[in-house]
Amino acid sequence: MGAEYILEMENITKEFPGVKALDNIQLKVKKGTVHALMGENGAGKSTLMKILFGIYSGSGTIKFNGKELKLSGPKDALNNGISMIHQELSPVPYMTVAENIFLGREPVYGKSGWVNKKKLIENTKKLFETLNISIDPTTKMKDLSIANMQMVEIAAAVSHHANLIIMDEPTSAITEKEVEHLFKIIRSLKKKGVSIIYISHKMDEVFKICDEITVLRDGQYIGTKPAHELNQDSLIQMMVGREIKQVFHKEKAEVKEVVLSVKNLSRKGKFNNVSFEVRKGEILGIAGLMGSGRTELIESIFGIAPPTSGEIYLHGKRVSIQSPSGAIRNKIGLLTEDRKLTGAFLPLSVKENMIISSLENFVNFGYIKSRLVKKTCDAQVKRLNIKTPNLNQLIMNLSGGNQQKVLLARWLLNDPDLLILDEPTRGVDVGAKAEIHKLISKLAQEGKAIIMVSSEMPEILGMSDRVLVMHEGNQKGELSREEATQEKILEVAYQ
Amino acid sequence: MESQETIAKKPTILSDRYQTGWKEKVSEIFSRYGIFIIFLGMVTLMSFLTPYFFNVLNLINVVRQVSFIGIVAMGVTFVIITKGIDLSSGSVIALISVVAADFAHPGEHSLFVPLAIGVGVGALTGLINGTITAKGMIPPFIATLGMMTAARGLALLYSDGRPIGNLSDSFLFIGAGEILGIPFPIIVFLVVGIISHLLLSNTKFGKYTYAIGGNEQAARICGINVDRHLILVYTYAGLLTAIAGLMLTARISVGQPSMGVMYELDAIAAAVIGGTSLTGGIGTIPGTMIGALIIGVLNNGLDLLNVSSYWQQILKGAIIVTAVLIDSRKNKKS
Amino acid sequence: MKAQKIFSWLMISVLMIGLLSGCGVSQSSNARGKDHKIVIGAAMPVFDDKWLTYLYDAINDYDAKHGNVEVQMVDAKNDSVKQLTQVETLVVKGVDAIIITPVDTSAVEPMVDAAKKANIPVIVVNRMPTQDVLDKVDAYVGSESIQSGTMQMEKVAKLLGGKGNVAIMTGELGSESQVKRTEGNKDVIKKHPDMKVVREGTAKYQRAEAIQLMENWIQSGDKIDAVVANNDEMAIGAINALKSAGKLDDTLVAGIDGTTDALKYVQSGDLDVSVFQDPVKQGQGAIETAVKLAKGQKLDNKMVWVPYELITKENVEKYVKKWKEYNNN
Repeated sequence: MGAEYILEMENITKEFPGVKALDNIQLKVKKGTVHALMGENGAGKSTLMKILFGIYSGSGTIKFNGKELKLSGPKDALNNGISMIHQELSPVPYMTVAENIFLGREPVYGKSGWVNKKKLIENTKKLFETLNISIDPTTKMKDLSIANMQMVEIAAAVSHHANLIIMDEPTSAITEKEVEHLFKIIRSLKKKGVSIIYISHKMDEVFKICDEITVLRDGQYIGTKPAHELNQDSLIQMMVGREIKQVFHKEKAEVKEVVLSVKNLSRKGKFNNVSFEVRKGEILGIAGLMGSGRTELIESIFGIAPPTSGEIYLHGKRVSIQSPSGAIRNKIGLLTEDRKLTGAFLPLSVKENMIISSLENFVNFGYIKSRLVKKTCDAQVKRLNIKTPNLNQLIMNLSGGNQQKVLLARWLLNDPDLLILDEPTRGVDVGAKAEIHKLISKLAQEGKAIIMVSSEMPEILGMSDRVLVMHEGNQKGELSREEATQEKILEVAYQ
Repeated sequence: MESQETIAKKPTILSDRYQTGWKEKVSEIFSRYGIFIIFLGMVTLMSFLTPYFFNVLNLINVVRQVSFIGIVAMGVTFVIITKGIDLSSGSVIALISVVAADFAHPGEHSLFVPLAIGVGVGALTGLINGTITAKGMIPPFIATLGMMTAARGLALLYSDGRPIGNLSDSFLFIGAGEILGIPFPIIVFLVVGIISHLLLSNTKFGKYTYAIGGNEQAARICGINVDRHLILVYTYAGLLTAIAGLMLTARISVGQPSMGVMYELDAIAAAVIGGTSLTGGIGTIPGTMIGALIIGVLNNGLDLLNVSSYWQQILKGAIIVTAVLIDSRKNKKS
Repeated sequence: MKAQKIFSWLMISVLMIGLLSGCGVSQSSNARGKDHKIVIGAAMPVFDDKWLTYLYDAINDYDAKHGNVEVQMVDAKNDSVKQLTQVETLVVKGVDAIIITPVDTSAVEPMVDAAKKANIPVIVVNRMPTQDVLDKVDAYVGSESIQSGTMQMEKVAKLLGGKGNVAIMTGELGSESQVKRTEGNKDVIKKHPDMKVVREGTAKYQRAEAIQLMENWIQSGDKIDAVVANNDEMAIGAINALKSAGKLDDTLVAGIDGTTDALKYVQSGDLDVSVFQDPVKQGQGAIETAVKLAKGQKLDNKMVWVPYELITKENVEKYVKKWKEYNNN
């Protein structure tokens, strides 16, 4: 019956010029449940949610609380009791937390339009109390950590007193601790009868919190099942359309001489006294939560922000690396954490993105040998199985996984001895993830030394030969592949 | 162009969902060659509207008139591709004009002297623009705004506010001379165009220019010396401005401290009409040359048609906005 | 997306309307061309100048009153390069004579050359080029810019009794009139050993800027006996500032142009000296000379002088009447 469902979307179709993004999709969410919406990147999840939130218009029917709904825009959606946590944070950096949360609906004195700041802050405090968040409402948004910004965003979505909250990748930027916090909030919302649509790439989270799962693939509706009827493998199968048994392709590699050795490396205020070594053929995983200093550590090794003290040895020789170009000269490559911000040149082509850091090899008196470029890039496309119509395609038109492969190819063209990979599979869909893992393993076999930073525990556990555990800027310990488990890592981190 | 055929034939799930109707093809062609089509359309239209337009003398006039702004616009294109902007070109033209004119009186120095000094001054202003932008971490808008004001002041100071005339015939040749019936500025325009195009599309220098505009942080991580490269880009822009300034001075046979007012905006407009995007990382030299020609044809055609200068301004404004509009739609699509 | 599309079409329609309006003009001009009417090109420095507007009107007036003459007037927006371009375009159109009021007299030679190469008569108006260019042109109508500066300062010198401190307020730096008028001022000062230029600064021909500049000068405490401005607008600005400081009675103020506004200040005694240059006479002189040359007639004298006239309180009424006449046309 209609009363059972808070939301019924049926026959939803959406076309963009040349592409059918959604084809006859349905999504039914029961009252007071958490409903996961799963699918690889490009499956149509975000488009569907944008239609639900009134950002896009599409054909088909949407029933909300049994009544048919036609939304004119996000404001309309909010008025009808639907709110959304967006994947990309959109804070107004120079306004306070309280102002951000109540943007557009500030409490005012009478009809004057004059904002009642006292009440604004009080309302925020009350909201935070119910959610158990301890952030000062008068802090400027720009001064918050990304994790706290995400919590503010969550609080803002809750503050609308919506009956249905859409959460699009709410945990992409927050730590395990805060994920737990978020889940507590979700459970208490559930008790109040609020329904939640939960979108995430992280399987463990989905199985932990969700009641039902709807899967989309390539703009098509695949099916809806109760979460307890599925497991990781069967869910992946639904998403990918083929069976992927083993997610981590870790092959045995011969471990040889030390490539990088770091002694007592510190950068003031970021990390202290870190010492470790990586050998040829070895994958060293660095585990740690956001703010553990892991990204800062590899930035120092790569010369982006040189360390304040300590020593770095490459092949036994002490080096001083003051800039990324210095690191590249020393045969180090770095795949950065944030593809859009520090990795890809979005307006440039696949070809240009690939060759940009190894241009020296392709030029004659500064003039580019285009045949050589073509030959080399074609080979890389083949080797990494990059899906692109041609080399002149703009990288921004590729999927996340293929973008990541292009960037990996960029560093491989430098033929590095040491490859540092910061979150190599963030925002990459399951199929491409497996391919990237396979590739990393193969690179180690070929004799590269690899450092891999990741906040996904299974990835760390599945890929690393050794795991370096960091917490709040300190090196807490090192675990061998055999010793390392999720529990053990957390134990070491918090000891 | 060459790697058009180099398609890695890997059918993807996505591409199956693309429908390739004629509508898409037309819009594809339009977004790639749109500016060129608009240009040809304008030439055709003008030829029909006025009998004076399509004759050799007038066409030579148009291209000659365009040469100067066109050369400046090519330098500006490099700058805009790095996500920068150069507001100083007009004033720098004035500075170069009076300084070079001062060394170009007949019988005083060889032709080399004023040319070298002019190019030197241009490159120096570019060097300063680039250094302040790269090392001073000041936005290029402000850095070059400062240069725009200061260079104009220097030009007035140097010339005591007066035009500097009485220039040697050999100097006048670079603005008014002809080789085989083709005005010298046109030859320089084409040569500078070819060199700039090759530089931008086929060299390391060019690729780094695109990379910095596309993503400055990523460029640093890729080992590009961003600061040094930015300085070089602004210096190149200053150099091209100098070439235009020297030829303009010779063309009107006098060094003027009041020369080139608002030329920086015409140059930016030419680049933008030609498809250079102010968001960085996008733009080509042939596009900019066509952009400059569009402005030139528009100016010339409207003058021939005797359209009032008030209408001319409105039309120019409309064209610029329309060009950017097409450009922004192109970007949105991808 | 939709709004953008609509906006695109809007822009395109603006373009079309503009071109069509241009088309209309060109057709009518073509039609007239067939009747062998005389077409005169007029390359003017800047439309946005009040005094020059009267000159333009006088030229256009001739077009309106004579069916067999058409004037095509273009605006160089104070840019010599643009003006050269416009002259080239007029040459392409094959006009019968070209009237030029140069943006910068030292840059006028290439324009004259371009016209002469096509055997089109050239008439320079209002701003006098150097002798070697004058030799090439067919006629010059106007006066010598420098004279206005000399005339103005001579009167001031006379009123000051040949001694005192003078402040010169100059126009837009580098502009023709600024350079020549200031030069004329200084030539006169040189002849009077007891007169001294104590201040010189630009107010860009603008009243508001002049007020600020004058205030600063008053603040500096220097004794200033006369403020000599490159135009009336600045002189009026200086008067305003001096009035507020209570110093107007001790200070002579002189301007140039004799605008209607300025005449009121002369009548009230605030503005002591102005110099009148007759725009209508210059415009009429220019177009009449151009038509004569276009018809192939000979001129009695290629220098058509329209001299400057000094305005003081004694003769101001004459000019008030003159402006009334001009404005009624």
